[in-house]
Amino acid sequence: MRNHRLAPGLPRTFAAGLALVSLWPAGAFAETVVKIGAALSMTGPAAVYGATQKAGILAAVEDVNRSGKLPGIKLEAVIEDDASTKEQGIAVYQRFINRDKVSAIIGPTLSNTATAADPLAQAAKVPVVAVSNTAPVGITDIGTYIWRVSLTEGQVIPGALARLKAKLSFKKAALFYGNDDAFTQAGYKVMKGALDAAGIPIAGTQTFAKPDKDYSAQLTALKALSPDILLVSALAENAAGIVAQARQLGWNVPIMGGNGFNSPAFIKNAGPAAEGVYVGTAWNKVSTDAANQAFLAGMKGRGVDPDQFCAQAYTGILVIAEGIRLSGGKGSREDVRNGFLKLKNLTTPLGPFSFTKDRDGEHPSSVQIVRDGKFQIVP
Amino acid sequence: MGQQIINGLFLGSIYALFALGYTLVFGVLDILNLAHAAIFMLATFAALALVTTFHFPIFLALPAAVLFAGLVGIVLERVAFRPLRSRADSNISGLISSLAVATILEAVALEVWGPNISRFPIGTLSDARVAIPGGVVSRLQLTIIAVAVVMFLALTWLLTRTRIGREVRAVAESPRAARVLGVNVDRVIASTFFLSSALGGAAGVLFGLAFNSISPDMGRSVELKGLAVIILGGMGSMPGAVLAGFLLGLTEVFVVAHLGASWRDAVSFAGLFLILVLRPQGLLGAAGAREA
Amino acid sequence: MTERLADFYGTYQSTIGYIGLNGLLALSVYTTLSCGQLALGNAGFMAIGAYAAVLLTMEAHVPFGLSLLAGTLLPALVAVPLGLPVLRLKGVFLAIATIGFGEVVRLSLVNSEAVNGAQGIVAIPQKTSVGLIFAALALAVALLGRLKGSKWGFALEAIREDEPAARTMGIPTGAYKLSMLALGAALAGLAGALEAHFTFMVAPNGFGFDRVVDMLVFAVVGGSGVVFGPVVGAAFLTLLPEVLREVAPMVGIEPGPLRMAVDGLVLLLVILFLPNGIVSLAGVIRARRSGRRPAGGTESTR
Repeated sequence: MRNHRLAPGLPRTFAAGLALVSLWPAGAFAETVVKIGAALSMTGPAAVYGATQKAGILAAVEDVNRSGKLPGIKLEAVIEDDASTKEQGIAVYQRFINRDKVSAIIGPTLSNTATAADPLAQAAKVPVVAVSNTAPVGITDIGTYIWRVSLTEGQVIPGALARLKAKLSFKKAALFYGNDDAFTQAGYKVMKGALDAAGIPIAGTQTFAKPDKDYSAQLTALKALSPDILLVSALAENAAGIVAQARQLGWNVPIMGGNGFNSPAFIKNAGPAAEGVYVGTAWNKVSTDAANQAFLAGMKGRGVDPDQFCAQAYTGILVIAEGIRLSGGKGSREDVRNGFLKLKNLTTPLGPFSFTKDRDGEHPSSVQIVRDGKFQIVP
Repeated sequence: MGQQIINGLFLGSIYALFALGYTLVFGVLDILNLAHAAIFMLATFAALALVTTFHFPIFLALPAAVLFAGLVGIVLERVAFRPLRSRADSNISGLISSLAVATILEAVALEVWGPNISRFPIGTLSDARVAIPGGVVSRLQLTIIAVAVVMFLALTWLLTRTRIGREVRAVAESPRAARVLGVNVDRVIASTFFLSSALGGAAGVLFGLAFNSISPDMGRSVELKGLAVIILGGMGSMPGAVLAGFLLGLTEVFVVAHLGASWRDAVSFAGLFLILVLRPQGLLGAAGAREA
Repeated sequence: MTERLADFYGTYQSTIGYIGLNGLLALSVYTTLSCGQLALGNAGFMAIGAYAAVLLTMEAHVPFGLSLLAGTLLPALVAVPLGLPVLRLKGVFLAIATIGFGEVVRLSLVNSEAVNGAQGIVAIPQKTSVGLIFAALALAVALLGRLKGSKWGFALEAIREDEPAARTMGIPTGAYKLSMLALGAALAGLAGALEAHFTFMVAPNGFGFDRVVDMLVFAVVGGSGVVFGPVVGAAFLTLLPEVLREVAPMVGIEPGPLRMAVDGLVLLLVILFLPNGIVSLAGVIRARRSGRRPAGGTESTR
């Protein structure tokens, strides 16, 4: 695990010269490289998330290394593609654990893959930070080494719904969700539970499948029930089409979406139809928090327009770095986990971040509305 | 209900468009070309690039992309099908080689354009709404249905009234007999792939315009449905593919409205299964061809 | 040394396990291919086997052996009423009818709240060992190998070459085809049951159209003329992404789409240049060396 960057046999004068021009002279001699594995879906159906997660991770590693927050330690990201399958997700995990000897793993993009791969990390006592898994069961309950940054829909939707209820005072709702995907199915259950708890009757429920592009039949059927609000649990690739087609049908009902809507691609692809759509979200992109503004500026400098998955992946690395710092160690697997036990109110683009006692993430969530082609916070 | 019928007809026209090219190759060569969906996608990206990068109007970008798709089809035939044609198991090995090409094309698209969903710029085609009895329809949708009908008529004309059409049908009947009659079978098959892929490309561009959702895996949403449509319509039958496309579209919409969308695909595939078992020749196919 | 060996095994343990599982799946397609039938319902059979076994293990708490047995037998039982009507179809039509069956199975699971829909069943106890997978694979290879040399095998060959002729010779083609479909279903179900107890979870998305296409590719790329062909094909294609993971960075190919393209390219080259599958590679090289053209260019690879 400890690699010395410079070979011991290097001429002393040359090494000294290097140290002088180096920005971090202290680190140049005995820098410990701490590897962090990231199992991302860069091909297959979830490729759209893997790409933005990769950007977030690389940026965070660069920022942490430059900040000097971890003296004598250099983070290094090892990124592998799990092809959106559990078969390759498991293979990547075993590689990270046994071959790359990583100190921590940023969990696989998809919840389904995580439920198959995370038990291996738990058994090998390698801390995992899930940055996009939102399934309520089967992730952090695997064991004490599995941690999560991404809020589950259960932590976001009920609060968002209560805020909207106060604002719009709707009487009955309709639900529309992707039923062939673990993320959107879990989101639906939360929405239904929140409506039931608030005593709001559900006029009707319809579903779609992830490959679908045409939703007009379902939307027409729901429109006929004339609900006061439409709640949608969909991934980013479906969200824009759903909203655009609802408006195309001349249906102007208020729409609220979950985490999947929180992406610049949603506004771009839905165009004017996105106006007025509410989004319950784990990451408040328009937050004026210094940490968030710095993150946005940093990503802009790298040519990336970040979405929530990018911000969460970035936070995943910050959390691991903080874990190492708090442990006071050199970044071993145990160090990372011991640090997590102490981690509290870490400044991140997501807001002040802490872990719950069940190792799930905890940070403020918000409700946004699309106005003038931008996400804006609902007061 | 009026709105649902419009929805069904529109969805049906998309299925029919995709299936026309699919069934053409199937009818002539008895081969499933699993790369059809990839060409559908590639043509859409080509049109998108023309519109956004080179500022082509869509009415020029569409034919250009269609031509491009046709040429890709010729290459596809050369690379993935012709070398296998003499093999006894060409229908299985062709399935796999076309799958390999599809994988490569999808990977290339993923590398070049990235995994994100793209769309044609807003206003590429007017999506103004037109009120009709019982619902609304957009000009865009009407355009797409019209293009589907025109392409079907043009294809029918081509196949029944022109020399190349007669040759295509002769090869479909029996390549050996066609060769004896002096038909250049290689050229005819290449033309078939050109036509089939061009149609697939047109379907892709129209699909991209209709749903504003262009991505390297966009073909997946129609791949299996297209298969259902060509079976339902009868092997290699153009009118069958069109009829079956509309029938599938309407059935799906009906299921959504009355049973709920979660059963839509299960009903579609169960229906496909039943049709195959009860009427293996499809709606408009010739009897006897599919049973052992 | 032993530590490095342990690391190596730890790194590739799941890949090795998947070589065995995919081998079983490839054989499940091979069974019907060996009598000339392209039946592609195996993802559905696999799902039935996996869910049946998992529910028995987790809900009924039966011994693992019994779960496996049920996961093997149930799909075979389902295959019989399915096969009676669909095996009258031939070629691509049989393929599509069986794909339809597989999709109906997957969509039913997606719609079943009782088995948690798309989220699937998680926290399944790991009971499958790599050794058990290979024991099952060895058993399957031995069984199919014996079949091939027997009277039964000749009947299958006759059906594959010319079904009407086989029928006039008095071979009960329907019964043979049906039993091979059931055998394939059993193998797929066994693989599903083993996999579910190997990877801690099972979800409907693992049993889509892609999965059955993979199985067919394993069988044909390996060479479906001999019993171990599909096993070789499965091993080759399961190892390919892992080998690319190793080799691609050396030539500067980052993880992502380009590797997927290389994957597709290798598949294309194999199908174009090795008509009888990877198992024919040795023969092809030998023929090249001795200056003859490889035999089999126009032969059936089935």
